[in-house]
Amino acid sequence: MNIIEIENLTYSYPAAKSPILKNISLQIEKGDFLAVVGNNGCGKSTFCKALNGLIPHFITGDFEGKVTVGGLDTLKSDVGTLACKVGYVYQDFENQIVRPTVLDDASYACLNYAMPDYMERGKEALSLCGLEGREDDYIWQLSGGQTHLLALAGAVSLRPDILILDEPIAQLDPGHADKIYGVLRELNEKQGKTIIVIEHHTEYIADYCKHVMLMKDGKIAWKLPTNEALCRVEELQSCNIFPPQITTAAYRMKQNGCLKDQPLPTTIEEGSTAFQALRYSGFKPLKNISKSCAESAVQFRDVSLSYRSVKGDNRIVFDHLDLEIRKGEKIALIGSNGAGKSTLMKLMVGLLKPETGDIFLEGENIRNKKTENLSRKISLVYQNPEEMFIKDSIKADISYAMQVRRMENFQERTDRLLDRFHLTELKDRDGRLLSGGQMRRASLAIGIALNPGILLLDEPTANLDIATRKEIMRTLTDIKDITETVMIATHDMQLVCEWAERILVLYQGKVVADGTRDDIFGNSSIVETVGIRPPEIFSMGQVLDKKAFCYTVDEFLQSFEEA
Amino acid sequence: MREMKIKKKLSENILDKFSIDFLRNQVLKNAYGNDDTVIARLDPRILLVWYLFIGLVPWFVNNLWFLIACFLLVLVTTKLARVAGLVLLLFAIGVFTQTGYLLIVSFFFGGNTSTIIPLLILTLKVATCSLASITVFSGLDPDRLSNGLMWYGCPERLSFSISYAYRVLPMLMEEFQNILLSFRMRGNPPAHETFWGKVKYLFYQTKIVMHAFYPLMLNTAKRSRTTVEALEIKGYRYAAVNKNVKKIKLSSMKITYNDLLFLAVSFLWISLSILASKIF
Repeated sequence: MNIIEIENLTYSYPAAKSPILKNISLQIEKGDFLAVVGNNGCGKSTFCKALNGLIPHFITGDFEGKVTVGGLDTLKSDVGTLACKVGYVYQDFENQIVRPTVLDDASYACLNYAMPDYMERGKEALSLCGLEGREDDYIWQLSGGQTHLLALAGAVSLRPDILILDEPIAQLDPGHADKIYGVLRELNEKQGKTIIVIEHHTEYIADYCKHVMLMKDGKIAWKLPTNEALCRVEELQSCNIFPPQITTAAYRMKQNGCLKDQPLPTTIEEGSTAFQALRYSGFKPLKNISKSCAESAVQFRDVSLSYRSVKGDNRIVFDHLDLEIRKGEKIALIGSNGAGKSTLMKLMVGLLKPETGDIFLEGENIRNKKTENLSRKISLVYQNPEEMFIKDSIKADISYAMQVRRMENFQERTDRLLDRFHLTELKDRDGRLLSGGQMRRASLAIGIALNPGILLLDEPTANLDIATRKEIMRTLTDIKDITETVMIATHDMQLVCEWAERILVLYQGKVVADGTRDDIFGNSSIVETVGIRPPEIFSMGQVLDKKAFCYTVDEFLQSFEEA
Repeated sequence: MREMKIKKKLSENILDKFSIDFLRNQVLKNAYGNDDTVIARLDPRILLVWYLFIGLVPWFVNNLWFLIACFLLVLVTTKLARVAGLVLLLFAIGVFTQTGYLLIVSFFFGGNTSTIIPLLILTLKVATCSLASITVFSGLDPDRLSNGLMWYGCPERLSFSISYAYRVLPMLMEEFQNILLSFRMRGNPPAHETFWGKVKYLFYQTKIVMHAFYPLMLNTAKRSRTTVEALEIKGYRYAAVNKNVKKIKLSSMKITYNDLLFLAVSFLWISLSILASKIF
């Protein structure tokens, strides 16, 4: 039975020149778990909003065609009726939460639709989403992942047949991401809900989804069963979607004439059968890691810090932390949401002061230094680029720090930076109105405007599609000549493995591990306690042979060969 | 030397305390940090009636006994409500600048009872009303308060706004703080070691705070796009016109034994004070 039927849907936003959805026809079966993939800006979110009636009832525009959801024609029903059929969780889910306590928010929609059992529905939704026992908590007591589960519970409470989630795990650490998908799977299998996710992470698609739909320029290229879809390696790559590393590896092996009659694997499980004929070649990927004895760039000595909490005792973030960062290092800082990664960075640039202990920047204690005097040496690029845009055009933003310091030829330098980051054409636009990748580039340009020797980046690849992510990685290599020492806080383990020379693992206010990728990922007790998820290709290698440490598809291909 | 160090540390600490982070924390504490107090568990309707009496009547009475009794009563309730420190500080500053300074000045410069008593009465009135307001508006969490107001016929939109304001305020402050931090990282404030430098620095700071509003507004506008859509999906507009919703919301309020006890104690105390004023 089809729960969603779309006939010839064409839609354009008000005042847009060309339609964003072009003549879409589609059926989605009841009980499906569908992943929607496609480039940034290809109309995925718009498509989903057409399903819950926000388009065209709330967001007007030119709407043609017919959308039937659960037997209701969206044109003829209002948003309220449709909301009980289709639940929606936004990408910026924290803005979707409007009530102060957990149960209140979960039951809010039911209350508004005057359902007498609104409390029970809220509680039921919370227990379905794994938030049992947190009913009376305030929303700011929740972690990022729990907040997302709450947003989901708010949608589930109306008992909709269909749930739509826009990039559910973009901002979450792997532990929380697994939890979200676990909940979704339960809702799908046990409650029979139809689930639609917009998702870039093909590893998760392979593990959880039943079908994949590819969108291209406002059209639907195809909708296929997951396995078949993920094996279309070239087509996906041309749309900037990267198939699971395992699939890519097998695909490239096939091109080299190996694995002849095997279907392409998409998960580790399938991989262990498909790759079973392979033997480990003994290849050890070399990474030039010069155990540097260079000068110290930043040093933490016995640093403690805690945050004030609304109720009860202060929350300790760092407890007697010691850490040294040397010049020229490329460091990845990893740890779950709330482990203190951003706080560590804010301490380094002097935006926060430690309660006890001292921080030294190039040998100088920064306790009595002013932040503005440090900014030539060290610079921080926020996780949220919007908060770095303090002027009304990115050109003004990039030049600001140089201008107020009365640097000579700051205009020339600004132009050069704009050029370097391919922003010249956008220079008069407000940063907030740019796309995700452009915003990120602009924030990087702002960050290195003063030629700091040390650059700190907080989640530089969060919320980016793979193409933009690659571009940011290229930029990082590009600016090597300016910034000697770079530290990145991230959940993106592929970035960590490809780029970092030293990895710091933060857990409960302490650095629990510090070393190369082999030291970290090879230490299963660390991986388990902290909840790190190595890149899938690494786990694949480990399944095939415990001695194999390969972190990228290239390394995998070199490590394994047909016996 | 050591003393100077301590002094320096102290002044640093005070400046450090008064950060946006601190403000945010106090706002949250004030709104939700005390939901387990006696006051917070009272029925909002009862508390509003009580407030109407304690907040209004003292203005029309000039009896010192009565006013002192009222003042002591609200002092106790404020204590019970565990009001956040910042609010109390603001209260103290407020009362002092209104009338308190006159009281103190007249006390030191040979004022006699004929000048001090009227000033004391005025100060007591101001202090009683402010503390009563603090008890009610800060002791009750915003949701209970707005439910109480709704019961008395205030429009639903007002009560939603109150609780939503408390929901977004911490977010706004965090955003504002981050933008200010951006200015701090990239800006170049004037040196402020000398007196003249300090004046210039103050001007600079004020300018920066004003400049920071522009990005704050735009970022908030960007965020609220999602919120507005989410409210639409969650049926906010339907609730506003549906009488049943109001009924369901209000049915969660119950008057308990504690509420009656609270009223009775207040009533008894005030009666005693009236009695005392008659006797003495």
